[in-house]
Amino acid sequence: MKYDAIIIGGGIIGASIAYNLTKQGMRSVAVFEKNYISSGSTGRCGGGIRQQWASPENCKLAVKSVHLFEKLDQELGFDTEYYQGGYLLLAFTDEEVEQFRKNVVMQQGAGVPVRLIGVDEVAAKFPFLDTSDLKAAAHCRTDGHINPMLVNQAYADAAKRNGADIHLFTEVVRIVRDRDRINSVITADVRTFETGVLINAGGGFSAEVAAMAGITIPTRPQRHEILITEPLEKFMDPMVIDFHHHIYFRQTKHGSVVMGYGDPHEPYTHNIQGSLEFLKTMSLMITKVVPAMKKVKIVRQWAGLYNMSPDAQPILGKVPGVSNYYQAVGFSGHGLMLAPAVAELMAELIVTGRTSMDISDLSIDRFAGRTEFKLEKAVV
Amino acid sequence: MRIDKHPVLHFEKGRKVQFYFDGRPMTGHEGEAVTAALHANGVMVLSHSLKRRHPRGLFCAIGKCASCMMRVDGQDNVRTCILPLREGMRIETQEGKGRLK
Ligand SMILES: Cc1cc2nc3c(=O)[nH]c(=O)nc-3n(C[C@H](O)[C@H](O)[C@H](O)COP(=O)(O)OP(=O)(O)OC[C@H]3O[C@@H](n4cnc5c(N)ncnc54)[C@H](O)[C@@H]3O)c2cc1C
Repeated sequence: MKYDAIIIGGGIIGASIAYNLTKQGMRSVAVFEKNYISSGSTGRCGGGIRQQWASPENCKLAVKSVHLFEKLDQELGFDTEYYQGGYLLLAFTDEEVEQFRKNVVMQQGAGVPVRLIGVDEVAAKFPFLDTSDLKAAAHCRTDGHINPMLVNQAYADAAKRNGADIHLFTEVVRIVRDRDRINSVITADVRTFETGVLINAGGGFSAEVAAMAGITIPTRPQRHEILITEPLEKFMDPMVIDFHHHIYFRQTKHGSVVMGYGDPHEPYTHNIQGSLEFLKTMSLMITKVVPAMKKVKIVRQWAGLYNMSPDAQPILGKVPGVSNYYQAVGFSGHGLMLAPAVAELMAELIVTGRTSMDISDLSIDRFAGRTEFKLEKAVV
Repeated sequence: MRIDKHPVLHFEKGRKVQFYFDGRPMTGHEGEAVTAALHANGVMVLSHSLKRRHPRGLFCAIGKCASCMMRVDGQDNVRTCILPLREGMRIETQEGKGRLK
């Protein structure tokens, strides 16, 4: 069996690239997913979509994504629960306020409709927040959130309708490479599939996938924990991020509140066990910010992997020395929101060799010979 | 409807207290589950399903499901099957998902 393109990984990145490749005219496209759609990070993620980033490159990609998200349900024929309820970033220290002030100017320049708002306005508009220690907040009304599982499925279904093969429960265990060219992949059930190009969309396993092709990439998996509460009547529109307490939370369409805490000391492993420590810390932090959460019951907790890159920005495109290998990896906790833009640009790169928006800054070349990097700071 | 004699279990019955169900005064025994007191007063419908508004009665009776969630003294989503009855409690039927309060 031979394909023009094989994608390893059926998460949001793999599924959206598959869809965009077929949309841009590629005939035979296949996705190989070792478990099922959304079984990786995508189905475990927070669902937030924001354009408020600390670097202009990230902002521009995110703005492009939001434009695509706005039309996505119609394009894919799916209700993904996409909701532009905005995003509220909380500042608790003078340094944070100063940083937000700078970011807002840069972000506005990148086309993000964001503004800094004072504590009184926050208290009036978002009465569920305890604003007693708050200094200011940044609000962007076109940010929002989505149901990650639904949008992943929407892309996979649309790719399938366009003729792509989605091989579920099919793990790629070997990649056969001859010098600068990848020839084929071999699956756990010992089938061989030849391919024109190979795309690494392996999420938390991106380094392992690259290693099968003899390629070394600087991505590392890191556990992030998250929980969901019982459903409540709608009380909040925006997704809220609080870098000070390392938490974020949003209310789903169903009414449940999804919330996560990013432990700054979490080691780099593939562990995705939920922990009691997280339940304690999360409860402590969320009740500081939303005191009424004290009375709300937790329904479920789980964890997933961030695929961290050295500068917390994605690594996109080709690698030196291999002619037909592409990767979209290292999303460092914000791959869902970037997927529509990244997938369109990756498909352009693969089909035409060029992209309509410059993403060369995000290629792996940026790490060559360097050991220190400017970190994208706006990550929980 | 109350089990007074049981071959294995022994029931400590608390003193008689008054409480309110949707504003109506009722009596029950202090310390018994709120749902037991409601049942003894003939109240079987505790909540309604969110989508189709079907009536929901006592289901798991051990605080694991959401069938018995009611508003108690103004607090939504209280599991009344594991809530000990106290004097003067205000139990109300809760419509919808419960408010953050
Ligand atoms: C708790 C948490 C909260 C998050 N919150 C947000 C958020 O609010 N907003 C946001 O934008 N992002 C968020 N993220 C990040 C987001 O989940 C990821 O960036 C995104 O899902 C990455 O998608 P992906 O397709 O690259 O990876 P995945 O969804 O992990 O997909 C990769 C797939 O590859 C498969 N695979 C791996 N190796 C092989 C192989 N050898 N053969 C076959 N299949 C293979 C895996 O099974 C997996 O399904 C969060 C992540 C976590 C963990």
